[in-house]
Amino acid sequence: MSAIEKRTDVETIDVFGATLTRRRFVQGAGGMVVGLSVVAAGVGAKKAAAAGSGNSLDATQLGSWLTINPDNTITMRTGKVEMGQGSVTAAYAQILAEELNVPFSQITQIVYGDTDRTPDGGIAAGFLGAGANNLRLVGAYTYQALLSLASQQLGVPVGSLSAQGGVISGGGKNVTYGQLVSGSQLNLTIPVTGNLLVGGLTVTGSPPTKPPSQYTVVGTSQPMGSIPGIVTGTATWVGNIRLPGMLHARMVKPPTFGSTLVSVGQLDKKEFPNTQIVVKGNLVAVLDPEEYTAVTAAAELAGKTKWTDWSDLPGSGNLVNFLRSADYNAAAMTVNTNLGQPSAAFASAAKVVSATYVRPYFKHAPIGPSVAVADVRSDGTAIVWAHTQAPQPLRKMLSYVLQTDPSNIVVRILDGSGHYGRSNPGPDGAEADAAILSQIVGRPVRVQWMRQEDMAWAVSSFPQLADMKVALDANNNMTGFQADYHQTGRYDGRGLGALLAGLPPGALEDGSPAVPQVNGHYSWVATASTVWPYDKVTNAVEYQHNAAPPGQVSSPYKAGLRIHSSRTPVQRQANWALESIINEAAATAGVDAIDFRARHTTDQRLLNVMNTLKTAHGWQTRPSPNPAAKATGSTPMTGRGMGVMLRSGGHWAAAADITVVPSTGKVTVNKYTVVLDPGIVINPMQMKRITEGGSVMGISEALYEELAFNKRTVTSTDWVSYPIMRIMDLPEINVVLVNNPSVGTYNGAGEGSNGLPQLAITAAFFDATGKQARSLPLRPRNVKAILAA
Amino acid sequence: MASSLKIKVNGLVHSVSASLDTPLLYVLHNELHLHGPRFGCGLAQCGACSVLLDGKEIRSCVTPVAAVSGKQVTTLEGLPALWAQQRGTTGSVPALHPLQQAWIDQQVPQCGYCQNGMIIQAADLLGTTKNPTMLQIKQAMNGHLCRCGTYTAVIEAIQQAARSMTKGA
Repeated sequence: MSAIEKRTDVETIDVFGATLTRRRFVQGAGGMVVGLSVVAAGVGAKKAAAAGSGNSLDATQLGSWLTINPDNTITMRTGKVEMGQGSVTAAYAQILAEELNVPFSQITQIVYGDTDRTPDGGIAAGFLGAGANNLRLVGAYTYQALLSLASQQLGVPVGSLSAQGGVISGGGKNVTYGQLVSGSQLNLTIPVTGNLLVGGLTVTGSPPTKPPSQYTVVGTSQPMGSIPGIVTGTATWVGNIRLPGMLHARMVKPPTFGSTLVSVGQLDKKEFPNTQIVVKGNLVAVLDPEEYTAVTAAAELAGKTKWTDWSDLPGSGNLVNFLRSADYNAAAMTVNTNLGQPSAAFASAAKVVSATYVRPYFKHAPIGPSVAVADVRSDGTAIVWAHTQAPQPLRKMLSYVLQTDPSNIVVRILDGSGHYGRSNPGPDGAEADAAILSQIVGRPVRVQWMRQEDMAWAVSSFPQLADMKVALDANNNMTGFQADYHQTGRYDGRGLGALLAGLPPGALEDGSPAVPQVNGHYSWVATASTVWPYDKVTNAVEYQHNAAPPGQVSSPYKAGLRIHSSRTPVQRQANWALESIINEAAATAGVDAIDFRARHTTDQRLLNVMNTLKTAHGWQTRPSPNPAAKATGSTPMTGRGMGVMLRSGGHWAAAADITVVPSTGKVTVNKYTVVLDPGIVINPMQMKRITEGGSVMGISEALYEELAFNKRTVTSTDWVSYPIMRIMDLPEINVVLVNNPSVGTYNGAGEGSNGLPQLAITAAFFDATGKQARSLPLRPRNVKAILAA
Repeated sequence: MASSLKIKVNGLVHSVSASLDTPLLYVLHNELHLHGPRFGCGLAQCGACSVLLDGKEIRSCVTPVAAVSGKQVTTLEGLPALWAQQRGTTGSVPALHPLQQAWIDQQVPQCGYCQNGMIIQAADLLGTTKNPTMLQIKQAMNGHLCRCGTYTAVIEAIQQAARSMTKGA
């Protein structure tokens, strides 16, 4: 603001709990009004500040969330990150546009994730649940403030005003949003709560929001803004960053998850004249101005570097024994379902159906391995370019690693390979490496993990051994249910590079420094699980038993086989076991799988998605197995199966038709139908695409995926040793969306969609063969073992 | 040691400095700043790094830069010009190749990391097979992995582009 300006006309208006302060600026000399956008004072000042002086926006200021430009276009800001599901660049913009009464096209700029340019932080889970509500409320507060301003300016009562396309009209007059804010500094102070660096901030209060019945933008298929850049090669990926003086780094990892450095090798100076070797603790890296030189130098150095041996993993071949005999000293937790007196129900049961289900470790397996660029400067400030679902928690983690205040760190978000939940606590993988190396060499450093490194060292999705049982009465009705889920810990948000370097590795989800939790291991216990869909069964309980990730306690740097949440976490594991035992109970009862479920629930949305599934899939109503089922021979056997999931307010049902060739063990999915009632459908096309994609991921998990490891390290290190589904195996996938605006809440499809195929496929396997598939994946070897049992 | 060599990329001859065994991908990124092709595995297993070499899809992560001299490399960025050349309308290069347009229309990408390879492989396919069957599409695309699971959308986009290219649009 220049010295000749003076402030007059300070007005304060209460807008449903938000405070609107308006100052009109009058220039002293010439009388010209100074044009300021809503945001100019708030964001401009912060952006101009050097990295290190605060470096976050004030979320209580409207201007931190959005800018209404004089030309009536709008810039939107959110701390959540676009991970490729269109949640930010399509859905959030639709929600904001809806509440502001502007067309989607009027939101011309979207800033997301950057810790110094966005207000609220948060993580990319619950994206379209609680996450979306922030912009919905910001939009609603803003709209009310604009109406108040328009009322004053036009001299028309608020009740007589209406808005369309960013123009407020009433009493025969009209004014655009851009005109309303031009010449004023609007300070709309909105109420927020929460912790920016940990769970993120939540906008509170209840300004009037638009009833879903009046939606015109939400519910339409808008394009995800990132697509044109991706298909033309103009997208800015993290891996594209090249800074002056930047060095390319490649890591030389220990050969096991517990080996320590004995001696680092040497490089031939003639062959590698510019290559630097950096060693800190067990962190070993090579850095070179030329990227491919760093690649070859790392390979050379790896062969010449000596490490201690370590072999404290159970090996994937011993997974069942490991999960059966692991130390579950932490008391069993009851999770979401804890109803009635299950033990009494089992004592009086006519029949008890019980089974144990086992799932292996899976990888998130992004197509692009982790990459990050860090510029740690001599004044102690740092900028890190990354692709993470949780920029503020990453910033916090890096503040531990660099041993500085978070205000000295900025995390900037660029496009990256999808990684499906593994960065939810902050790091995706390479960030701590980059920060540590840049701090040591005093130059910007780009760290690109290689394929084998990403497969071995990035976090995995946890395995599960689930003991399940159902009580049936004499009429074959379910009267009791008990689940005992055994699994290894999850949510390891520590920076791997810091573990290896012996530096503080980061923070727990509650923001406290990472210290061992239970029995000396970092087992962030799972707390979310299934939602009990069968409310007529009033004696039901789920117990969860958490063990240390294998090798973590004995690894000198507490690495071991690290775990983090993966798309539809916990429920993807538990719900497979839950729905599988329900299918087994239905078969024991001699009742069709859909009919059996319908007998035990009053949930109308669940009943509706199952009925929709019947029609959409062409479901044959009959008990399983198929009367023609056979477990031997070379004749292809066909079967169909189904399952349901309740997640985050969304209701799902899915069915699969499969073929099993008993003699070869080959399983083929021929047709897959999935029905989703998410509540309000925000973007039908996007939701269909995301559901198709999640379905492919779930089919891939059911048929192909299993992380192999020996006693030392992971041995699934590429796409041959860790196969995922290929396009040749793509079945016909039918997605049916049930728009249910009366629910009043949104939901996404990224979570949920990958959790249904396993249920339907294993049920179809039993239908086709008469043999229960209680272990995944259904690769030929496992299939033959199941059929021979 | 680094050598000076000339490679032809997207219709232009570039002088680059790299050791002869440097994979083309690193030269495209670091010398020519072409970031359409992506590093995925470095093993020719996933297809994220694909480019066209004289119209045929290759994996730039394992192709030594020396192997492309005297040949035409086309990257994702060069597809609109390639399409103009194929139609004989090089005077006016469209903003998008029909495949790129179809990818936008069908909302194919999710994270998008693999889509460079998908589009490049599809350009190879449609260069030789004007109206591919479903099986031909699947066979051609089978070497490209997508973790977001966009396969259904990829097929629909290729079908759209095939219709559009047959009409010469």
